Amino acid sequence: MNELERINRNTEQHFINKPAGNLTSLEIYDAYGAMAYGIILQIIPQPHLAQEVLISVFSSPQLQSCNSYPFTFAVCIIKLARAKAVEAKRKLMAASLPAFEISNEAADKSPQQIFDLAFCQGFSPEEVAVKLNMSKSEVLRSLHTFFKLHRDA
Amino acid sequence: MNTEEFIKSGILESYLLGLASREEQELVQQRMLDDPEISAYVSGFEKDILHFFDAKAVSPPQDVREIVLLRSKKGSTHKKKHVFSRNPKQEKNNPGAYLEVEVSDTYMKVHKYWRTAFITVFILSKIFLIAGLYYYFKSSSQEQELIRLKSQIQQQK
Repeated sequence: MNELERINRNTEQHFINKPAGNLTSLEIYDAYGAMAYGIILQIIPQPHLAQEVLISVFSSPQLQSCNSYPFTFAVCIIKLARAKAVEAKRKLMAASLPAFEISNEAADKSPQQIFDLAFCQGFSPEEVAVKLNMSKSEVLRSLHTFFKLHRDA
Repeated sequence: MNTEEFIKSGILESYLLGLASREEQELVQQRMLDDPEISAYVSGFEKDILHFFDAKAVSPPQDVREIVLLRSKKGSTHKKKHVFSRNPKQEKNNPGAYLEVEVSDTYMKVHKYWRTAFITVFILSKIFLIAGLYYYFKSSSQEQELIRLKSQIQQQK
């Protein structure tokens, strides 16, 4: 199951912070376009490709499912932008390279590196754990540490 | 796993970033329903995550907004289905219910059958052109032959 399917499935459940009223694509773009573009650029540094992905995010039918997303709009946009960017990056890498692999140089086990591999490069926590010779729970704990460090900074 | 251990495990971060597996998602959802402390942590983390990514926000070019606007207009136009109103007066009172027609777009969409029709017409035009040229040259050569034969007969007389 990919990220986009997960988002769609998540919309079926309702928990907290349900937004009041449906927003249009343009309203969502005005509110979160810059944030989404920043996320996409972290994953795909080429501006022209990043802009194509950004357009696909805000013209995607999945965007409307954010109206019924159980969390805030921002979280839904973050997930959607990341999922679209990682999908585009995978296609790009598949076209240029035989496999989408973590480079062997990535031996750093810092929370920043783990966040980069998991969020920006699109690897699952299991894949990151295997590559860095860690357990999956350590990878997840590093994500917690990463955000804790940013919160405290 | 108690609440603190659950929070420190990083599973909530993984869930909100879209990295969690289906089982982990279900576990988080269940714990959020059962434990208000976890729900409160998630709400706080949502704000943190927003601050984190807002700090890395980059303003996209203005053209991108225009394209999003055009696509969203197109999307909403395509999604609208015509509904027959039982009361025509209602339609008169509500002119906004009509589909919007784009006038600024320089492109035109046609049915895909037009491609086949165009290719057929193109091929037929080429066949007729070749046939026309063939019969033109053939008739002119026959005319010359006829003149030649006529002159031969006249010489024999």
